[in-house]
Amino acid sequence: MSTVTLKNLVKDYPNGFRAITDLSLHLDDGEFLVLVGPSGCGKSTALRMIAGLEDITSGDIYVGDRRLNDVAPKDRDMAMVFQNYALYPQMTVAENIAFPLKLRRVPRAEREAQVRQAAEILELTEQLEKKPAHLSGGQRQRVAMGRAIVRHPALFLMDEPLSNLDAKLRVQMRADIAGIQRELGVTTFYVTHDQVEAMTMGDRVAVIKDGILQQVDTPEGIYGSPDNVFVAAFIGSPSMNLYEATLERHEEAGGDRYSVVLGDQRLAVPSEVVAERPALTEHLNRPVVVGIRPEHLEDAAVVADHPDDQRLDATVDVREALGAETLVHFNLSAPSVDSGDPDALDELRDSGRCTARFSASSTARVGDRARVNVDARHLHFFDRQTHLAIRS
Amino acid sequence: MILLVVWSVTPFVWTAQTSIKFTRDVASKTPVLWGYETTANAYRNFWLDSDDVNMWGVLAFVLVIAAIAAALGLIGRRARHGWPWFLGATAVICVALWRFPRFWEANDEYDFLVNSVVVTLLTMLISLSIGLLAGYGLARYTGISGAVILIVALGFRALPRTAFVLPYFFGAKEIDEWLTSTGVGSWNFPLIDFPGIDTLQVLDTRLAIVLALVAVNQPFTIWMLRSFFIEVPKEMEEAAMMDGATRLQAFRKVIIPIMWPAIIATGLFTMLLAYNEYLFVRVLAPTEWTLPVAIVSLTGGESSRTITEAAAASVSITLPIVIVIILFQKHLVRGLGAGAVKG
Repeated sequence: MSTVTLKNLVKDYPNGFRAITDLSLHLDDGEFLVLVGPSGCGKSTALRMIAGLEDITSGDIYVGDRRLNDVAPKDRDMAMVFQNYALYPQMTVAENIAFPLKLRRVPRAEREAQVRQAAEILELTEQLEKKPAHLSGGQRQRVAMGRAIVRHPALFLMDEPLSNLDAKLRVQMRADIAGIQRELGVTTFYVTHDQVEAMTMGDRVAVIKDGILQQVDTPEGIYGSPDNVFVAAFIGSPSMNLYEATLERHEEAGGDRYSVVLGDQRLAVPSEVVAERPALTEHLNRPVVVGIRPEHLEDAAVVADHPDDQRLDATVDVREALGAETLVHFNLSAPSVDSGDPDALDELRDSGRCTARFSASSTARVGDRARVNVDARHLHFFDRQTHLAIRS
Repeated sequence: MILLVVWSVTPFVWTAQTSIKFTRDVASKTPVLWGYETTANAYRNFWLDSDDVNMWGVLAFVLVIAAIAAALGLIGRRARHGWPWFLGATAVICVALWRFPRFWEANDEYDFLVNSVVVTLLTMLISLSIGLLAGYGLARYTGISGAVILIVALGFRALPRTAFVLPYFFGAKEIDEWLTSTGVGSWNFPLIDFPGIDTLQVLDTRLAIVLALVAVNQPFTIWMLRSFFIEVPKEMEEAAMMDGATRLQAFRKVIIPIMWPAIIATGLFTMLLAYNEYLFVRVLAPTEWTLPVAIVSLTGGESSRTITEAAAASVSITLPIVIVIILFQKHLVRGLGAGAVKG
């Protein structure tokens, strides 16, 4: 068990492509850090560099005080779980799990005891004599985990270990892996493209895009105050609604009032929101990016008690009743903002598209003209040029 | 499909029939297809070179030895530690060969058989060793020079065999002349003092045949093994290395076991090629014949007596191959079907 430090890691491929730019991260002892990003953002490359499977162009990797740049993978004391599990097909489950111990010349009796212990943790005791080909996806996944935990490494590396499982199993394994990690207390570096996994499993989440680290924070921190437009849109499902809007100030006797102009509608912004972000006043009467999370939109027919100037009108395009809540899509005639997520569906980039998370009791139907309450205290503001959050 | 089977099986059936006929039936103008008297004379002549040995006794002896060896082998496969049993099987065969030298010393055919076995095994061994390493390297290395090597190898494979024979022959001759003229050929090497070999030479040795066969066959083994290696996900050796293996250990303990079916399939094809080779043996080894050449020599004359003997020989040398293929056919199919490694 140990800390992990990445210092200014850079990876250039021979064809000149820069996969990782200046990546610096620190993992505390026993911490579960999830590196999340869209496909092709360099997150697997980062993981493979830590593992030693990929050369480092520049920068340093430390585990504890030990610099690992030129250490062979086998001597790094790390265990890795691969996306396709990479189980050895010719070996039984028990042999698969025992393989790392065998390579370390652990005596047979001790080896068998450790394999049995790992199998119990992972509920694989019944499967020990089977070959991987005869296991279900979830069982294979657990064998891969078993091979990792059996040797008590300094660091777990996990490369999208759940992406080959079906949705239901994924939810279960998500909890299982997080539970096992907490039980063993091994520092873990976990890579995924699934922001739900990132949010639910990680002690901290690092968001990466195009090889550049965007933000590192606790799941709550990342969700509550994203550093830029990309993180805002990438974390959270359904993702944040982002529009270009103009911030206006109305000078009045009782103090200044603010509002944003979203297309042809006007939304009042509580003065404390602006007071918390003095920098916003520099953007007055200029376009800024405004973000609204779907859960901060509510059907006015359900919650009547809401300031009237913090409401928007829209026609319901699509309604998805999920039972506990109802997702409603409508169109605000305001220009949307491209967050730069290559995985985002094109239709989500339709101008003005907006998703709201209404209470299940909402009766809004497709085609209805709905009044929508906006919880304006939770608006997010970003610079239109730099896409950085306006917070201070 | 049926037509194809008939088309390819008929000649062999004809040969097999010829081998057990009396010469008078073979030589008759109208082919005698049914109801002829059968005889094992041709086999006796070919393998025992005499009429007065009790052929069935010999056959029974060979079968008993084979059965004991096979039984030991089977037990060895089941047992936890198989090697003592395999060793036992080998010992039984060796003792049998050693106790009954009167056949194979008196008879040229056994020299040819030994030549065949040695050439085949050596060709397989060398060809597979090079093929495994090269195939692995070329499967993992994706640079331009890898592609060039592969294309060049394929090109050489496409050239007709006859294009290689004469260069090899003259090359071997040059080496031999150099060995003789410099005296290197008559040096005494204390450690490799082969009995019966006074001077080193290349031409007319099994070495020449093996080297030539390896050279011609290498492109095939490299291509075939490479295509199997590509099927093995890269994560396999990466996982092994993360588990604490060196690159070589990963190759030996993880990749090679996954590749077994492929290795067996490739090995079988190489074996067939070496075992059946005629041209190279005929040209490069004027006296160190292997079995196919020996058989052809029997068909040279006009005498119909040797025709039955040639037929008997053909059938005899086919049998070991058929047995090997039957033993390994499971692997052969798996090897050809590949893709099974993805677990």
